[in-house]
Amino acid sequence: MDLDKLLEKSEGCIYDEPPACTSCCPVHMDIISFVSEMEKGEFDKAYKIMEKRVPFARIIGSICDHPCEEVCVRSDLGGAVKISELEKAAVSYGFSPPKKTIPIPKKKGRVAVIGGGISGMTAAFDLDKKGYEVTMYDKSNRLGGKLRSYVGRGLKKEVLEEELQALVKLGINVVLNTPVDKKRLEQLTGEYDAVYLGTGVWEEELPIHPQTFQVEDTSVFAGGKLANRNGSVILSASSGKRAATSIDRYIKRISMYASREREGSFETPLRYETDGIKPVRAVKKTSDIYNEDEAAREAGRCLKCRCRKCIEACSHLSGFDISPKSYMRQINQSERIILGTHYANKMINSCTMCGLCEEECFKGISMKDVIQETRESMVERGKMPVSAHDFALKDMKFSNSKRFSMVRKQPEGIKGPCQFTEKTEYLFYPGCQLPASYPEYIEGIYKYLVSNMKGGVGIYLGCCGAPADWAGRQDLMQESVEKIKKTWEDMGRPVFILACSSCCGIFEKYLPEITFVSLWKVFAQNGLPQNKKTSGNYVLSVHDACATRHNKEIHDSIRKIAALSGYTIQELKYSREKTKCCGYGGLVYYANSEQSEDFVKHRIEESDNDLLVYCAMCKDLLVDGGKRTFHILDLIFGDDLEGIALRKMPTLSDRHRNRAQLKVRLLREIWGEQPDMGLEKQSDYKITIPENVIRLMEDRYILMEDIEKVIDNAQKRSKRFFNPSEASYLARLRIDNVTYWVKYEEKGEGILVKSVYSHRMEIVEE
Amino acid sequence: MNVDNKKDIPWLCDKCKKELVLHKVKVRYLEGNFEVELLKCPECNMVFIDEELATGKMLEVEKGLEDK
Repeated sequence: MDLDKLLEKSEGCIYDEPPACTSCCPVHMDIISFVSEMEKGEFDKAYKIMEKRVPFARIIGSICDHPCEEVCVRSDLGGAVKISELEKAAVSYGFSPPKKTIPIPKKKGRVAVIGGGISGMTAAFDLDKKGYEVTMYDKSNRLGGKLRSYVGRGLKKEVLEEELQALVKLGINVVLNTPVDKKRLEQLTGEYDAVYLGTGVWEEELPIHPQTFQVEDTSVFAGGKLANRNGSVILSASSGKRAATSIDRYIKRISMYASREREGSFETPLRYETDGIKPVRAVKKTSDIYNEDEAAREAGRCLKCRCRKCIEACSHLSGFDISPKSYMRQINQSERIILGTHYANKMINSCTMCGLCEEECFKGISMKDVIQETRESMVERGKMPVSAHDFALKDMKFSNSKRFSMVRKQPEGIKGPCQFTEKTEYLFYPGCQLPASYPEYIEGIYKYLVSNMKGGVGIYLGCCGAPADWAGRQDLMQESVEKIKKTWEDMGRPVFILACSSCCGIFEKYLPEITFVSLWKVFAQNGLPQNKKTSGNYVLSVHDACATRHNKEIHDSIRKIAALSGYTIQELKYSREKTKCCGYGGLVYYANSEQSEDFVKHRIEESDNDLLVYCAMCKDLLVDGGKRTFHILDLIFGDDLEGIALRKMPTLSDRHRNRAQLKVRLLREIWGEQPDMGLEKQSDYKITIPENVIRLMEDRYILMEDIEKVIDNAQKRSKRFFNPSEASYLARLRIDNVTYWVKYEEKGEGILVKSVYSHRMEIVEE
Repeated sequence: MNVDNKKDIPWLCDKCKKELVLHKVKVRYLEGNFEVELLKCPECNMVFIDEELATGKMLEVEKGLEDK
C-alpha cells in the first residue's frame, strides 16, 4: 500500500481546516473556541484564547478593524457574527492581569525596534520572548504611536498605559525623543544584529518583501503601515509579529521561507454547507458594549464552521467519531506497525464500503477506496483478522459449490416468445443471498424471463465474489471472476440478467466485458407478470442499494415498478446516489454486528413510511431492526403483504438449506432431472434445537450442518464427555479452522441440543 | 487461560469412563503457541473446554493474536 499517497490524500480532507474568519484574521485567532466560551459565559476563558494569538489583546480587542467579519459564513443568514463586539465584551468581563513570568536570558543577539506604535510594540514583545535584547526608539517622548488616536474611540487611556508599562517592565530598553532617519538607520545596522522599522512613514520607498518583511537582503525589516500601506491595527500587529519571526531566522541563519505558507491572511480550503440553516439576526447592544447575556447570545449565532458532512451522513464515521483525515492517519500508523497490536483493525473492518462519504465530500475523498486498498494490504501481509470474514467467505464457498451452483440452458420444455434455440441470449444470475432469503421467487422470475425475453434464457446459480472483494481477498476474487468468465464464454457470451445490486457492482468492477441488464429494468420495460396492483393509497420510501448508487436506470426502474404496482413513493433524504448502506455492506454484519445495527437504526429513523428495497440483505436487516420493509419482488410476486412486511430473515442454516433446496427443485421441476441426493443429505439423527440454542447458533455463526457433523462423529465413535448428574453429553469436532462443541441429551430416538459454542484455537492432543 | 482447579467438574470421558485431570496442554493459534493447564482424559487425552472458557478468555486471546 502506498502510504505516501495515503497521507497526501489525508491532507485533502478539510475537516481540520480553519474557518474563514480565522484564516482571514492576520494573527489567526481561534474564533470558534473563543465564541464557544463566550456562549457559555466563560469570559475569562474566552479572553485567554484571544490572548494566545492576539498581541496586546486588551488593546487590539478594543479597536480591531475585524476583517474576520467580512468573510463570516453567517453574513447571508442574518448578518456576520459580531466578533469585534464579542472581543470588547471579553476584554471587559474576562481580562485578568497576566501572571509574572521569569525573564528569559537575552543571549541570542541585539535588535533595535524603531517606532513605538502597535507594529513596533508587537515586534519588540515577540523578540524579547524569543531571547533577544531589544531597544525601542521613538521620535516622541512616549511609546504608543498612532494607538493614542484611539483613546476615547474604543480604547481606554489606562489600558494603553498599563500595556506599555508591562512592555517596559519586561526589560526592553526604551530610547525616546530620538528620531531615526536614513543616516541614523545605517549607524544602527552597524550596532545591532537586526533592525525593525515600524515608523509609519519613511524618507524613501523601501523594497519590503511581502512575506518576510525584509528590506532586500539587509538586516533591516519593516512592517506596519510601511509594509501594509493602510491603517489596519491588526495588519500592523501581524506584520510586527511576522517580521520578528524573520529577524529570528535571519540572525540564526536559517531558512527565511520554510513552513511559512500560512502566515497572515489566507483563503481557507474549508467549505461549509449552509443548506437548511435558518437566518438569525444579530443581537442588538443595549449599551456601549454587549452585556454578558447579550454577548453569550450573540456568540450563539456562530455556526462553528467545520466540515462534518461525511461524518454526519455515515453511521460508521460518526460511530467512531473520526474524520477521514485522522482515519487515514490511523491506517498509516497501523500499516507501519511491525511488532505490536493493530488497534485500527476493528475500525477498518467496520466500514460498509458504501461510498456515501465520497458523495458527501466537497473534495471527493472516498474512504471506500482507502478501505478496499487497506484490507487488501492487510490480507497480503497476513494481518487480516481471520474471524472477521471467515463465515462470509465460507458462505461464498458454499454458494459456489455443487450444493448450490449450477448452469443450465433454457430447457426445451418451456417456450419463450421465440422458438426454442440452442443459443442462450440471456443468463439469469440471481446471486447468492436472494435465493437464500427468497427461494420461492426464483422459479417465478425464471419463468417470467423465459416468456418475455427474445432468445433463450439460461440460469446460473452462484456467488459473484462480492464477499471476497469486501474481505480484501483478491485471490478468491480473481478465482470467482475467472469462473464467471469461463461460464460466460462456454454459454456463448450471453447478456447476464442480474437481480442483486452487489453483483451489478462486481460485474462493473471486474467483468466489464460482460453486458448485463438489471432484472428490475426488465420488469419495468416488459410489465409485471401478475396483477398485484394495490388498491389503497399506499406510500413507500425507497431505500436504494448502495452498490448501485450510480445506476440511475435501476433507481428509475424500481420507482416505475412501484408505480405500476399502485404505490406512491416519498423519497428519503438520502436516496439514489446519496443512499445509505443497510449495514451489511463491507461484511460489517459479520465483522462488527453492533456497527451494523447502528446503520439499520439510523436508516429506520429517517422515515415513518414502510420501506421498499431491492436487495435481499437490505430487507432482512431492516426487518430485523423492526422496520416494515418490502422487497421489490414482494410487490411483484408476494401474496400476503402484511405478513411479508415484517417477515424475519431465515437463519444462517436456513439460508444454506434454501439455496440447496432451490437447486434441487429447479432441476427437478424445470429441467426434469433427478439430482444427486447428496445435495440434500439428511442427518441420521432426529435433532431438536430449542429456540434459545437457535439464537446462540446465529450469534456464534454455527450452522445446523456443523452440529450434525459433531453429533454424528460423537455418536459413532463415542468421542464425547458425559455428565452423569444431568445425563448430558458434550462433543467436539474440528471442522476446517474451527472447533465446534455441542452439548446434548439423548431423548428417546432423537437428540436434544442444549448448547453450542466454538473456538478457533487449536488444542494439540497428545 | 488456565482452568480453575477448585471447580468441581461433573464430566467424565465417555469412552474411557475416567475422571478428567488437570494437565499441561499445548494450544496454538496463528503465530501463538502456549502451554496451558486444561482438563483432559488421562487415558485418551481428549481435552475438555467448557463454554465459559471458549467464549470468554479463549476468545479474548484469539482476538488479541489476530490483531498482532
